[in-house]
Amino acid sequence: MKLTALQDKNVDELRMLLGVDAKKDLLLKKLSELGMPEIKNEIYRYFDTQSLLEKQYDRIRFVPKKIEESDKIEIVDGIIKTAPKGIRVYYGEYKEVDTAHFDPLYYLGHLLVSSVIIIELDGDVETEILHRFTQPDTLIAYRLVIKNQANRHATVYETFEGAHAEGSLVLYGYDMHIAKDSSLRFLKNQTMHNREYSMIASHKISVQKQANMVYKSFDFGDASALTLLKAELDRFAHIEAGHLLYIAGHAKRGIVSQIIHKDEHTTSHQEAKNILDDNARGIFDALVKVEPSAKYTKAYQNSKSILLAENTYMIAKPQLEIYVDELEASHGATMGQLDKRQLFYLQSRGISQTDARKMLVMAFANTLIEKIKDARHQERIKTSFEAAFHASNKAEEHLPTLLR
Amino acid sequence: MMKIENLKANIGSKEILKGLNLVLEEGKVHAIMGPNGAGKSTLSKAVTGHYEIEITGGDIVYKNRSLLEMSPEERALEGIFLSFQNPVEIPGVNNAYFLRTALNAKRKHEGKKELNAAEFLRLMKEHLESLGMKSDMISRSLNEGFSGGEKKRNEILQMLVLEPDVIILDEIDSGLDIDALRAVSEGINKMKNGKRSFLVITHYSRILDYIKPDYIHVLKEGKIVKTAGPELVAQLEAEGYESIEDENQ
Repeated sequence: MKLTALQDKNVDELRMLLGVDAKKDLLLKKLSELGMPEIKNEIYRYFDTQSLLEKQYDRIRFVPKKIEESDKIEIVDGIIKTAPKGIRVYYGEYKEVDTAHFDPLYYLGHLLVSSVIIIELDGDVETEILHRFTQPDTLIAYRLVIKNQANRHATVYETFEGAHAEGSLVLYGYDMHIAKDSSLRFLKNQTMHNREYSMIASHKISVQKQANMVYKSFDFGDASALTLLKAELDRFAHIEAGHLLYIAGHAKRGIVSQIIHKDEHTTSHQEAKNILDDNARGIFDALVKVEPSAKYTKAYQNSKSILLAENTYMIAKPQLEIYVDELEASHGATMGQLDKRQLFYLQSRGISQTDARKMLVMAFANTLIEKIKDARHQERIKTSFEAAFHASNKAEEHLPTLLR
Repeated sequence: MMKIENLKANIGSKEILKGLNLVLEEGKVHAIMGPNGAGKSTLSKAVTGHYEIEITGGDIVYKNRSLLEMSPEERALEGIFLSFQNPVEIPGVNNAYFLRTALNAKRKHEGKKELNAAEFLRLMKEHLESLGMKSDMISRSLNEGFSGGEKKRNEILQMLVLEPDVIILDEIDSGLDIDALRAVSEGINKMKNGKRSFLVITHYSRILDYIKPDYIHVLKEGKIVKTAGPELVAQLEAEGYESIEDENQ
C-alpha cells in the first residue's frame, strides 16, 4: 500500500481506497478536507513525510490473539500480547473521535483500524506499555484509548522496541480521556535508531474539569518521528507538557502541538529542551490557544535548544493565540551552542572533552529529567539518555583531540 | 619545573604577549605583578590552553614536554591548575559530581584506584572544614549563585582535592574580604610542600602579605621587564609600575 494514493481524493474515492463503509464518512470527510500531508501543509512542512508516504508498505492482517498475563501491557505490531492483572485492556469501537483535530493522519489512523485498543485505568494504578515492532517494510497502524477514573491518580510509562522493523512506518496514537478530578502522568521514553522504523504519532487528550495531565516525552536517537498532539482543557484543568529531544545523525524529530484552553481557570505549562547533533533536525511547533470562554487562564510555553554541530537545524515556533484579556501568558525560545567557557572550565580540571560535553548536555537536560517524580522512571530515562549520548559520541571518542 | 621561552600570543588579531620569558622553579612562589592590560591573565590562559589564545611564537616547556602540544585536560592531568579570576557558573552540574569526576580522572591518569562516593565525601568533609565552607556547597550546582568569596573558596577546594604541581592563582584576592582572604591564603599555604610551584597573579600586594613570594616579576606590555626578590613589592607600592624599566634592554 502506498499512502500517496490517498492524496487529493474525495470522500467516495477515499471510502473505496480504504475499504471502509459509510459509517465512517465523517472521518473520510475530515481526511479529504485536511488532505494528506505534503510539503505545502504547514504542520508537516518541516518533517519529511513525502518519502515515508510514497513508499510501498506491506499491511498486517488484524488477527487478535489471546491476551496473556504479564507485568506490563505489551503490544506487538498493533496487537495486544500481554496485560497486567487488574487493568482492563481490550479491543473495542471508539465513538468519540475528535471532529476538529488538526492532523489528517489522526483521521487516517482511525480509518485504518477496525477497532481500537482500550485501556481502562481503574483506581490508583501504575502501568507500563511496551510497543514492539517486528515486521520490516510494513505499515503498522493502530490506535489506543486511555480512560481513567474520577478522583484517581494513574501513571503510564511507555517504551518502544523496533530492532527488526527496518523500513516500517508506524502510525499510532492515543485518545486519552482524563476524568474529572483525576490525574494521569504519562511518560514516554523512546530511543529510535536509524534503519529501524519511522513513526507518526497523533494524539488527542481531553482533560476534564479539575483534572491534571502530565505528558512528558523523552525522544532520543537518530531516526525520524513526529508527534502531533492536541489537548483540550476544561474548567480548572491543567496540563504540564515536557519534551526532551536528543537526536543525532540525520534524524528529523519533534512535536507539533495545540493546547486549547476551552474554559475558565485552566493552566498549561509546556517546556521543550532540544539537543541536536550531526545533521539532525528538531521540530517544536507548538500553539497554545486561549478561547473566548477561557478567562483567568495561565499559559506558559518555552523552548530551549542546544545545537552541537554546524549542520543541525531547529525549528522552534512557540505560538500563543489569545481571545481573552484576563489571563497570564508567556512564551519564548532560545537557541545556542554549548558554552565554551563552561567547557573550558571543566577541561581545565582534567575532565575529557567528551565527558565535559556530556556533563553540560546532561545539565541542560536534567531540569526535565529530574522533574520525574518516580526515581525508577527517572533512572531509566537517564540511562536511555546516556546510551544515546554515547552512541552519538562513539565515533568522536576515537578521534585525536585536535580533530574534534 | 616550567620554562616559558620567548612566548608570543594573540587574542584575536591583537598581540598580547610579546616574547615573554619566565622560569618557574620547583617549590617556589612566583608573583606576577603588572598594570591593567599588561598580559597577566593572558599568560595564565596560555599556560592552561585557553581557546581564546593563539600562540604565535615561543614555547612552554614543562616536565621536558612542550605544553603547547597538550589539550587543556592533558595539561590539568599533568598537574597544572588555574584558579580562575571569574569562575564560570554551570547550572545543573552538581559541584560534588564535578569534583569527583575531575579527581577520578586525575587518579586514573596516575594509575591510582578511583574513589567511590563514600571515600570522596570523607575527603571533602576534611577540606570543607579547613576552608570554612558549608557542607551544602558541594551539593549545589557548580558556582551557581555563589558569592564572589564562595567562588574563590571553591577554587581553592578544587586545588586542595586535585593536588596539582603548578598552581596559577589569577587574582585570587579580588572580591575577598579579610576573613575570606585569610582562609583562602591558609588553603594555599597548606599546599606548599617544597616541590609545588606557585604563580600568583595580582594587582595588589595585599595577598603577598599572606602568601610569601620568593620572586616578584613585573609584567609590562607583554614581557617580564624585571625580576627581583620580595623587596620589590615595597618599591612598586611606593613608586608604581611606571618606575620600572625593562632590565632586558
